[in-house]
Parts: sequence; C-alpha cells; structure tokens
Amino acid sequence: MSTLLNSLTTELRRGTLTLAVLSQLRTPQYGYSLVQLLEQCGISIEQSTLYPLLRRLEKQELVTSSWDTTENRPRRYYVLTPYGIEIFQQLKKEWEKTSQELSLLLKGDETDEND
Amino acid sequence: MRMIELYIQEVTRRLPEKSREDIALELRSTIEDMLPDNYTEKEVKSVLEKMGNPAILASGYLDRPMHLIGPRYFDIYINLLKMILPIAAVISLISFIADTIISYSGEEAVLNIILNAVGFGIWRILSTGVQVFFWLTVVFAIIERTDHRKNQTPLTACFKEWTPEDLNNIPYIPKEKAIPKVEVLLGLLWTAIWASVYFNAASLLGVYEKGSNGLEFVMPTFNQDVLYSYWPLVIMVIGLEIAVASYKLLKGEWTRKIAALNTVMHGVSSIVFIFIISNNQLFNPSFVTYMTDLFSITGDFGSWIFWAAIFTFLLFAAIDIYQGFRKANLKNVK
Repeated sequence: MSTLLNSLTTELRRGTLTLAVLSQLRTPQYGYSLVQLLEQCGISIEQSTLYPLLRRLEKQELVTSSWDTTENRPRRYYVLTPYGIEIFQQLKKEWEKTSQELSLLLKGDETDEND
Repeated sequence: MRMIELYIQEVTRRLPEKSREDIALELRSTIEDMLPDNYTEKEVKSVLEKMGNPAILASGYLDRPMHLIGPRYFDIYINLLKMILPIAAVISLISFIADTIISYSGEEAVLNIILNAVGFGIWRILSTGVQVFFWLTVVFAIIERTDHRKNQTPLTACFKEWTPEDLNNIPYIPKEKAIPKVEVLLGLLWTAIWASVYFNAASLLGVYEKGSNGLEFVMPTFNQDVLYSYWPLVIMVIGLEIAVASYKLLKGEWTRKIAALNTVMHGVSSIVFIFIISNNQLFNPSFVTYMTDLFSITGDFGSWIFWAAIFTFLLFAAIDIYQGFRKANLKNVK
C-alpha cells in the first residue's frame, strides 16, 4: 500500500519540479546550493533528476550557465534567461490556476463527506 | 578519492564524448559540495547513494530513451508482429514441404522422410520466426531512436495519429461469415502438397513392398508420360487456387463474389480432374493388374476406382460451394 502511495506521490510531484527549480533560479545557483534551497522549503529532489534537468533547461534556453573558478573549487552556476523569466511567470500562473481549481474540487469532496 | 572517480567514470562512459568532460567536472564539484571537509569512506558511500545509479543519472543527461520500443510505436509493432509471424511461418512451412517432396529420390521410406520432415519443419518455422522477430524489432528500435519529436501519442497502423475516421476502415465481420486465416492457410498447404505429389508421382505414388531396407518402391500407380502431359492444366488449377486463397485472405469474410469465385475454382478443378482421370491410359497397366489380384476384385477395376474418385471429388467440391454461398448470404447484423 505504501509503495503505491509513494509512486503516486512521486508522480504528482514530478510535474511541479521544473516550476520549483525555475523559481529558485532568479539568482544564480550551483547544483548543491539549489538542492539546499529546495530542501529548506521541504522539497526533496532526486539528484539524478536535478542535474540532468538543469542541462535540459539550458538546452531549452530557459537558463544559462557559467563556471565560477574564483572559489576553492570550480562551480557551475545556473540563472534564468529573460525568456526563462517569461516562461516561469506563465507557468506560475498555470500552477496557481490549477491549484485553485483542485482545491475547489477537494473542498467539494469534503462537504460531500460531511453530508 | 577513488570511489568518486569511479562513480564519475561510470556516468560519463555512457555519455557522448563531447559532453563528458564538462559533466564530469560538475559532478565532481557537486559531490564534493555534499561532503564535509575531512570525509570518510562511509560518508562518500552515503553521498554516492544519494546520487543514485550511474546508469539512471546518465540516461537523464541523454535524450535517448531507456526502452527499446516506446509507447508511440509499441501498438503498431505488436500488430505487425501478429500479422507477419503466422504468414512467414506458413510460407516457410509450405516451401519446406514442397522442397522435401520435390527432392525426394524414392530411395528412402516415406515414413522416415515424414518423421525427419516434422522435426526439420518445426526447426524451420522456429528459425523463420526468430528472424522475423529480430528484424522487425531492429527496425522499430531504429525508428524509435531516429524519431526526435517529443510527441508520445501512440500511432495507428498507417503511422498516423488516431481519428474517429479510422473506424470506417475497420471491416465489421460477424463470426459466422468470417473466413478464418487458418482455413485459408491449410488450403494453401494442401495445394502445395498435392502439387508436389503430382510432379513427383513417379517416385511417390505406387506400390510399396517390404524389402531388405524397409519399404521399397515397386511400381508407380500412374503412367508417367500420360500424367505429365496435363501439366499446363494442372498449373492453371494451382494458380487459380492460390489466387482464390489470396483473395479470401484479403477480404476475410464470405461475400457473394468470393462464393462465386470459389465455385469457378471448384468447377475448373473438377473438370480438369475428371478430364485427367477419364483417360484410360492414365493408370500403369501392371499397377491395375496388381490391385485387381490383391483385392480379387471382379469386373473392371479401372471403372470402379474411376467413379469412386469422381464421386468423392465432386462431393467435397459441392459441400464447399454450398457453404460458401450459405455464409455469403448470411445477413450482416449491425
């Protein structure tokens, strides 16, 4: 039962990952700092999903990346492009709409149960 | 640390050459970020466990799918496989049977030949099946990898996406009217068998007697020259049978047209059969004498077998013609 719930939860969250990552990239972040930022907000993301996701976002021209070699170890920083900001805003709106619609549906469910 | 290097190597060896260095560098800095300053092997292990299976990480970087045939092509693939496999199996079986009969030299006992043939036949069908399966899978795996569109919607048999219009192309066949593929293919098999027997009657049909090497061929049933002189007619009947069978396979259900064609086919083959058998030079005279002695039949052996053969042949033809028309005239219940 719990494995089923786990897989359903993963599936539910998978679609929101892109949005979560984009939201944190308005300021430049490197891989591990991004993981920490997300974890602070309670979002745990598989490492094997995050790094390829960042590459893909770069390929789609939503983010750009650059190496910073000034610190003791080189780090690759990712930041939103203007196009990425635009897409992020639209995606955010979509999410807000979806979550409103869903909460309405779920509320309806609760009143049904109370009847 | 060796384990980190090995992990990075395990990921990058699965990636294209040009992106390896960059990704390796990023992975190394990320892994070091996750570790405390003076790390132990145990800590490295726990970090690498978080990074997960190198194969999965690498496949994330690649756009290449981690499956051979994805949802877009799977349905077509399975349908084609179901369609092609039985056809290929039957064709290989028919060609094998024809080949066996034609290459029969008459030296070995028929039973041995049949036993060997069954084994070889099964082997042939299996190897053809494996070949078909292999090549079809290879072709689809290549299509899957060369199609870079992100669309994953499954495709229909015409390699297009499904629309309600597609339903018009599906024939509606009630069960009673359907011509089962097996029936048609068995028919073709029968054609192949009798044709091969006809062309090799000299060494196949006749009297066998127990000899020192098992069964020995003593004398042929037919007068070979007379039997062979009819070959153009026989070829015509073979062609007709194959044509009608192919048409039946194509349509898949009994229609008036198919029933009429079926009648023509039976009519022509009956006429040819009667024409050939009514030639009184057909039977080998020594065979007739032998049979008459063996069963001590009084009267004309030739005419007795003649009428029995004609009656059997016509009876089966008539039954098949009748069934064809009966099924063709069944109402389509829609």
